[in-house]
Amino acid sequence: MFAIVIGMVFVNNFVFARFLGLCPYMGLTKEMSSAIGMGMAVIFVMTIASIATYPLYSYFLLPFGVERVLRTASFILVIAALVQFIEMLLQKVNPALYKAMGIYLPIITTNCTILGVTVLNIDTFVKDGKAQPGGLVGSAVQGFSAGVGFTLAMILMSSVRERMEMADIPKPLRGIPIAFITAALMSMAFLGFSGLIKQ
Amino acid sequence: MLTLIVAAKGGGVLIPATVGLAGLGAIFGLALAIASKKFKVEIDPRIEQITELLPKANCGACGFAGCSAYAEALVKGAMELGVCSPSSSEATARIAELLGKEASAREKKVAFLHCAGGKVSRRRFVYDGIATCAAANLIGGGNLGCEFGCTAFYDCVRACPFGAIEIDEIGMPYVNPRTCTGCGICVKVCPRYLFELVPANKTIFVACSNPERGKFVRLVCDIGCIGCTKCVKVCKLEAIEMREGLAVIHHEKCTMCGDCIPVCPKKIIHNFAEPHVAQRPTAEEAA
Repeated sequence: MFAIVIGMVFVNNFVFARFLGLCPYMGLTKEMSSAIGMGMAVIFVMTIASIATYPLYSYFLLPFGVERVLRTASFILVIAALVQFIEMLLQKVNPALYKAMGIYLPIITTNCTILGVTVLNIDTFVKDGKAQPGGLVGSAVQGFSAGVGFTLAMILMSSVRERMEMADIPKPLRGIPIAFITAALMSMAFLGFSGLIKQ
Repeated sequence: MLTLIVAAKGGGVLIPATVGLAGLGAIFGLALAIASKKFKVEIDPRIEQITELLPKANCGACGFAGCSAYAEALVKGAMELGVCSPSSSEATARIAELLGKEASAREKKVAFLHCAGGKVSRRRFVYDGIATCAAANLIGGGNLGCEFGCTAFYDCVRACPFGAIEIDEIGMPYVNPRTCTGCGICVKVCPRYLFELVPANKTIFVACSNPERGKFVRLVCDIGCIGCTKCVKVCKLEAIEMREGLAVIHHEKCTMCGDCIPVCPKKIIHNFAEPHVAQRPTAEEAA
């Protein structure tokens, strides 16, 4: 379990090692506050999505033999519906939390990181067409730590970019180009974590 | 159910896949429909209507996070009408109608920049730091010879949510009175407080903010008020007053007769409704 957490946060970080979720990584890291808000929302949705899709796969798709054709479509359907439902619930039950997180929820329903982590759960915890014991808990932990890894990347990037606003950067590199260069350097730095755990 | 499994075992996945996905979709659709009824948050429909009527620039001139937040405050009665400076009087009237209140007539205001020199002013040192007015102004009182004029790093241009501030040919900000909505953001952003909100129909003003004596103004800038008091004397309405070494036009008294414009030796009394540059003195005239 510990290996899963370390693996998802550092070694196989979704942004730095798998290059998923680059759209919010570039788009929402201009300010620390929006980066943190997005990160929290991603942690939340990833955990929920992992818990929801793993049983769906192992108890519905596998027995009916449709796991190959329906995996992506049904996962997206489930995640989108779930997030929509949570958004409604949040708006009713906790308007303060909704104001803080609400705007990020619809953005991430169809984000590739969410689908990525659910598919990864299946790859990790379903072997030879059989659900492994402890898969549900494992999926939840994996989803959560993937979200933590994403949030870490967002916070690191936004703190660098906030400082770059004030730096004297050559004109052709200002804005997105320098952000891409920074992202590349950062993911190279994160390569240093590879080999920390056995794959 | 059983037939589905049998069909799947038989190798065909098309039917179970279609039925399964359709079933999932139907279940979720139904669940969401029920949830949306059950967890419906009662929203006053007027909030949306008022938000539609507001300029939707989210400029923050009202002190709220955005137009919808202001609309919400309006409906709750927590906020007075007419705080939104960018919205037109018709829109304000319609909002008042929605709220069942009287609309207070509010004249349109625009921002004026009280400086014509800016880049013309002598530089005291080369500034190569962060390219914002706020930062440049902090270092030794700015690198301008004139301690009161525009530093020309365009904080106002970047801050204007309506794109009403242009940069003219000699690199000075020019507020276009037609597109300016009088939200007052530039007034707050300018570290030297060079902008003033004035009624849109009174567009004659002194484009200088340097209150020093003429000699010292001349030392730093060719187009600054030297305090010759010619405009004060020519004004029949006593609308122009000397504040230390600087002529100031009181817009309440001004009738826009334009008598003061030609007498100014430095040509810094401008009619802002016309472009700035045309009224600027040439190099020979200024010298």
